[in-house]
Amino acid sequence: MSAVAERPVGVSRRPRRLPRAERGLGASVLVAAISSGFGTLLIAATGFIGAWLLAAPYLAGRESVVAVVAILSALLVGVAMFVAAIVTTNTFATIVAGRTRQIALMRLIGASARSERARVARQGLVVGAVGAAIGLVGGTAAAAVLLPVARTVWGIDVDYALVQPTLAAPAVIVTLTTWAAAWAGSRRVLEVTPLQAISGATERNRSEAVGGRGRRIAAGILFLGGSLVLAAGIGLGLLSPLGVVVAFVGGIFSFTGLSLGATVIMPPLLRVTGRLFGRSAEARLAAENALRYPERSSRMAIGVVMGVTLVTMFAVASQSARQVLITSGGGEPPEELLSLMDTFAAIMMSLVAVSAVIAAVGLVNLLTLGVIQRRRELGLLRTLGFAAPQIRKMVLIEAAHLTVTSVALGLVLGVVYGWAGAQSLLGSIGVPPLFSSPTFVLPSIPWVTVAIVALATALLTGVAAVTPTRLATAVSPIDALAGD
Amino acid sequence: MQQLPTDTAPMAARVQNLTKTFGAGESRVHALDDVTIGLRRGEFTAIMGPSGSGKSTLMHVMAGLDAATSGRVFIGDTEITGLSDLELTVLRRSRVGFVFQSFNLVPTLDVLGNITLPFELAGRSPSPEARRRIDALVESMGLGGRLRHRPHELSGGQQQRVAIARALATRPDLIFADEPTGNLDSRTGREVLGLLATASREHGQSIAMVTHDPVAASHADRVIFLGDGRVVADTPRQSAEAISAYMLSSEVGA
Repeated sequence: MSAVAERPVGVSRRPRRLPRAERGLGASVLVAAISSGFGTLLIAATGFIGAWLLAAPYLAGRESVVAVVAILSALLVGVAMFVAAIVTTNTFATIVAGRTRQIALMRLIGASARSERARVARQGLVVGAVGAAIGLVGGTAAAAVLLPVARTVWGIDVDYALVQPTLAAPAVIVTLTTWAAAWAGSRRVLEVTPLQAISGATERNRSEAVGGRGRRIAAGILFLGGSLVLAAGIGLGLLSPLGVVVAFVGGIFSFTGLSLGATVIMPPLLRVTGRLFGRSAEARLAAENALRYPERSSRMAIGVVMGVTLVTMFAVASQSARQVLITSGGGEPPEELLSLMDTFAAIMMSLVAVSAVIAAVGLVNLLTLGVIQRRRELGLLRTLGFAAPQIRKMVLIEAAHLTVTSVALGLVLGVVYGWAGAQSLLGSIGVPPLFSSPTFVLPSIPWVTVAIVALATALLTGVAAVTPTRLATAVSPIDALAGD
Repeated sequence: MQQLPTDTAPMAARVQNLTKTFGAGESRVHALDDVTIGLRRGEFTAIMGPSGSGKSTLMHVMAGLDAATSGRVFIGDTEITGLSDLELTVLRRSRVGFVFQSFNLVPTLDVLGNITLPFELAGRSPSPEARRRIDALVESMGLGGRLRHRPHELSGGQQQRVAIARALATRPDLIFADEPTGNLDSRTGREVLGLLATASREHGQSIAMVTHDPVAASHADRVIFLGDGRVVADTPRQSAEAISAYMLSSEVGA
């Protein structure tokens, strides 16, 4: 337009506007939709299978089989919803941290802390309701497609009405848990003072509370007590198959203890993982970032741990059960039995994998929000001489910290729980032709599953880092100099 | 105008016919309009001007943080116009230091980690000589007992001293200071200005400081005034009163 030539020089790219922290709410809608859709689909499938089993007059003890199937699906849906709630709590805690100034401004104008918190929680209610509605429609639609397929493929002929009031149950529960999770995650709203709206740009990097003393003690008791009960279950399993019930209770307690104590357990583990990446500036900053908000990182990691533990558990249980049968019977068990066990394990693994997916969504979201909120600091690093590839490497290492640590812990726990399940259920049972009992085997590890899980970890790390690295390298050095 | 870049004195940085525009069409703004200026080596220069005068933009472009629309920019004898992002990054890392209004320390690193950060970004640990320099800096900034503290455990003045130590540690060609006293009380602000002036006087460190504050500018060897994207005055050291008087008169005249 003039004689002055537009000469793009050096950093010619204008800083792209980063999305607002509110973008993180999308992830909450997504996890609410996944968990409620999963619940709806599983309820439909359970009802369908139940109707089919009850219609088969020759099956002995069919009521208890139906009950077991119902309990299993309730547990699976429960786990998925629990992981979803963890993710949502984290998302809201992160969003509130990024919104401190805005909340402070509202407080300055005259809003009370309680009303501000209620506002955040209401947002959770809306997010939960929207996600749950999407999940309800999606899950019902999926069931409407899959049930006729099941009818034709397996020749199941049974009267079963798909649309029933119970289908809405997961949606209602997810809406309420999302609301509750948003409430839990918004606790820090209460700590925002009106003064924060006007005071200068002080670093707001206060450490989050790492849980109360009472909580830590409860976590320790639950974990140790649960582990003892688990061991007792394995011992009892050598005498009676009922050992598995004791072991199950022990497993639930010990894992609950572990989840409660996540803020105590995860940071040291994350630190150990940090050493693996060396002492370069990128690795050191990434290690510190992974621990910047110990509570959030730990919560997120435990979500991934839960998913990986469950998937590994079923694989190890199946493999160890086979080992018990071989040891007791002194030879290969019948082919039909093995294929039945494998099918069961495969179905369970794919169902618990849903929880792992939900956890992965949360992980991606956590990293993304972290980068958005650290924009100024990333700009500073660029100014001081961090090249874009170094920023990319730093974010990638940070993602790897969380995935590697939680997957490693999940694998270990999965092996222990899976083996405990198989051993406590089958340890006392004699199998033809030798009928030797009691049988004690060491955990047998399905290396194929481990390899798949490791591969999935690498993939998850890569995927989790895509958006954050893109956002992080888009930060221009000037962002460090600009005011808030 | 007192000094032109054609001077024989060695320059820490200079710009020639620098123009910087933002936006296009109707909303096009000339932030810098044909500015030619040089910052002499070893000198403490203050860049002043009202909001919107282009002083921040000038600093961004001179430091290689933002691109010029037209004109040439040099740091030392290196022309930085046309350098790639990576080349600019490496140049900033080794030859330019920064001190910000809001301190801008990395919150996850302790004091020593922040000071040695520019070395680590380059993937090397400080040389024995650099280490001695850092020790001396830590000593002179009074940070000796605080090397393991995190930024949030320090007062504003202490944080700014860490930032100054970080900027001085690599012995850069030039330090840019953006309103370094803007977030400090007046006594702490004076201390910080004294540290900058000492670094310039005793160690020959070139410093360019952008500021609104006549008192801050009175610590500098040279004061450059910008207005509407042009250099409107360029004077040697002045008292705060003289600077204020000039600012008021140009305000009235505007």
